[in-house]
Amino acid sequence: MARYGMALDYKNCINCKACEVACKEENGVELGAEKHRIWVGGNNPEGAWPLLDMASASFLPSQCQQCDDAPCQEVCPTHATYYDENGVVRVDADKCILCSYCMNACPYDARYVDERTMTVDKCTFCSDTRLARGETTTACQNTCPTKVRTFGDLDDPESEISELLRTRDHFSLKAHLGTKPKLFYLT
Amino acid sequence: MNFIKKIIPMKDFTLKSLMTFEKTPLNILMFILTIGLLGAFGWGVIEYLIHSHHAYNVTREHPWGLLIAMYIFFVVSSTGLCIVGSLGDVFGFKDYMAMSKRAILGSIVTILAGFAVIAFEIGHPVRMLIYNVLSPGLTSAIWWMGTLYGIYLTFMIIEFIFLMRNDMKNARIFGLTGLLVGLAAHSNLGGVFGFLNARTISNGVFYPTYFILTAFITGIYLTYLMYGFRYKMNFPEEIKKGLIGLAKIQTLLLAILMFFETWKMMTGIYGGMPGRADVVEHILHSGGFVYGEVLCGMLIPFVVMLTTKWKSINLYVYASFIGMIGIFFMRYDLVHDTQVKPLQMMKLTEYQLPPKWIEYFPSAAEFAIGFGAIGIFFMLYYFGQKMFDLDGGDH
Ligand code: SF4
Ligand code: SF4
Repeated sequence: MARYGMALDYKNCINCKACEVACKEENGVELGAEKHRIWVGGNNPEGAWPLLDMASASFLPSQCQQCDDAPCQEVCPTHATYYDENGVVRVDADKCILCSYCMNACPYDARYVDERTMTVDKCTFCSDTRLARGETTTACQNTCPTKVRTFGDLDDPESEISELLRTRDHFSLKAHLGTKPKLFYLT
Repeated sequence: MNFIKKIIPMKDFTLKSLMTFEKTPLNILMFILTIGLLGAFGWGVIEYLIHSHHAYNVTREHPWGLLIAMYIFFVVSSTGLCIVGSLGDVFGFKDYMAMSKRAILGSIVTILAGFAVIAFEIGHPVRMLIYNVLSPGLTSAIWWMGTLYGIYLTFMIIEFIFLMRNDMKNARIFGLTGLLVGLAAHSNLGGVFGFLNARTISNGVFYPTYFILTAFITGIYLTYLMYGFRYKMNFPEEIKKGLIGLAKIQTLLLAILMFFETWKMMTGIYGGMPGRADVVEHILHSGGFVYGEVLCGMLIPFVVMLTTKWKSINLYVYASFIGMIGIFFMRYDLVHDTQVKPLQMMKLTEYQLPPKWIEYFPSAAEFAIGFGAIGIFFMLYYFGQKMFDLDGGDH
């Protein structure tokens, strides 16, 4: 029983997109640009060439925020979306009726339709794959060359992520919506 | 057959009489239209069965499309006709007594058409029936909406049976219960959008109340169309009285709706809040809103009714037709506008601009199923009026 979360030292992200590939590979995510569990967002630098403001270009790796108060779970009519024993928000493909309400309710655009099962899919923190095999890292974290990601148990005060969150300033995306994300962006 | 007739009185009909109708140009046009729409519906369903959701243009960012809009269109119509039908048999307004039977039949067949559409939108409708019961998501507006609409349909059918038996006491009990359940269901459908905290354009109290208001308006438009068709513009006195009354109510309702809309847009744009003000501006510049919603749905019928002082019933039938086009745009825009602002504003691949607005245009299969369901409505309504005596009810 853990409460998994992830801290992202996002300023170290170099937009190599290795995490996107690793996630697809590890979790058997379908091919196609629309079918992604995680993504790296980018801004175009402001200004006109050659006077570009390079500091304004930033990269923001993101995925399902594993909200503690998840809108997707609240709106699901059949409890297909649920919290598992580790606080990870999951979809039970047997119960999902593909009403797409959760896709509309998620403030982070973190959900998509898996065409094989015709149900909604999303990031599971590798619960079905790596965690199920007893590993303690996610594929995206494992592959990241600049060590942007730290995955771990938020309830364990000794964990690396707890230490990071104690010692470094951090913020959450769209925190004003009250979704209580378990993804933390380190500043 | 006799057994069914004992439960619900019917006209005497044969298969042949069901299939024959007076060959007036309007009837023939309606026949061809109905067959065409049913054919389109069938084609759309086949497309869907072969290609599944690939037949639709919905995407990750725009998961709800025309079919959701058409489902809402039909269930709004149903709730509206239920309200109109209740004026007479539930609330006892004499002028509207004669309309109850036709309106309640209309409310039953419109919701059936709505269910036909949603069955091909939801990915797993059978699973829905099972898990709606086995693991109900009580915090979900979709759960409440679906469940309450199921109960509502049952009550409407029972009310209709009592109406046909001229058992007004029981019709009133089931009518009132059905109406309350229907209103609850319908406002929950508004709540489906109102609960979307991340979509500031839709979030809040507006849609749950607006849905009830526009349902009443839709109900009146449809009543006009049904009676215009039934009496070919030669209305008997008792119907005339009711229709004039409805026109007066309609003018008031449209005035309230325009007032609501004005304030929704003003509060939306005020202060320039990102994600809301820009969406409102986007909406105000879209043809669907200006020509569809405002002009067809509200202004033209409103001005026509106001300037003719509620006397030109025939004209209102045409105005109601224009009004229904507007109602369609209200439903379509409601669904589209909710999703038009991207939630993820960064670019995800190189050589791409950051997303600005989410684009969506329905596919052929979506058009076929969504509009084809109007054919289901026409067909069921046609058989309904062949099988039941819907005229008179002021017993
Ligand atoms: S980010 Fe979206 S999908 Fe993930 S838990 Fe939150 S609301 Fe649900
Ligand atoms: S699409 Fe599936 S997981 Fe999402 S709300 Fe509907 S039933 Fe629940």
